[in-house]
Amino acid sequence: MRYAEYVVTGWVLTGAVLGGYRLWLTVRARRAREVLARR
Amino acid sequence: MTLLPRPVNIVLGWTTLVALGALVVFGLWVAPPDAVQSDAQRLMYLHVPAAWLAYLAFFVTALTSALYLWRRTRATVWDHVAGASAELGVIFTGLTLVLGSLWGRPIWGVWWAWDARLVTTAVLFFLYLGYLALRRIPGDADARAKRSAIAALIAFVDVPIVHFSVSWWRTLHQEGTVFNSELSPEIGGTMAFTLWLGVLAFTLLYVYLLSKRYELSVLQEELEAVELEVAIAERIGEPAPRIDAAAGAVRDTR
Repeated sequence: MRYAEYVVTGWVLTGAVLGGYRLWLTVRARRAREVLARR
Repeated sequence: MTLLPRPVNIVLGWTTLVALGALVVFGLWVAPPDAVQSDAQRLMYLHVPAAWLAYLAFFVTALTSALYLWRRTRATVWDHVAGASAELGVIFTGLTLVLGSLWGRPIWGVWWAWDARLVTTAVLFFLYLGYLALRRIPGDADARAKRSAIAALIAFVDVPIVHFSVSWWRTLHQEGTVFNSELSPEIGGTMAFTLWLGVLAFTLLYVYLLSKRYELSVLQEELEAVELEVAIAERIGEPAPRIDAAAGAVRDTR
């Protein structure tokens, strides 16, 4: 594949950003639910 | 509390995952390399859907902001959706800029150019970053929602400027491949299919993440309300400052 360094970086970065955001949402929501359940 | 019923959310999550998987296969292996740009063009299958989704996300923010500002339709749900959609719009705009930069380096020879499309997109990114900052300013929930809604409507003015910048000015950035001034798509076959697959996968992902972000937004609001109640209760439970009449001064006995 020509320009593989740019193409792979772009695809991996997109996956990391969107996957990371999905994970962040899950962790934050879980923590909020736990705190609300304790109260 | 959730934007979509739970079973719908689960099905949507799996459908999104399958669509994204198919996009990876088609975008990196099945679609042929471009005759001029070779494999660098494979970044288009992410760059263009990300840009379209940024438009969609900011449109939803503008629409729900207008619905909040209009008294007849005013409801907290619109404020939550506006904030959630703007956050997703910022992520997609950021991705558009970074992917465009990665694509521009091998094709244009530069990471960045002071080009109308690039500059207006960067302005869009910072406008909505400011909008998100504005939403974080503490204060009365209704006042915060109203000022955020006004800011969202003002920021949305930049969206058509970004879109038409390639037609209005001479730019290094190419005109739209699908929605160009002649309304004649300059892409076909497997490449067009992969591009539309990208748009579909990103749209599904947007709806799924919007639903999740909305849920978190509602939970955070509940948490803030509970924390405020606790803080007030603790404050009331404390001994009040005692006024020392003889000395004419207020003494804090806590």
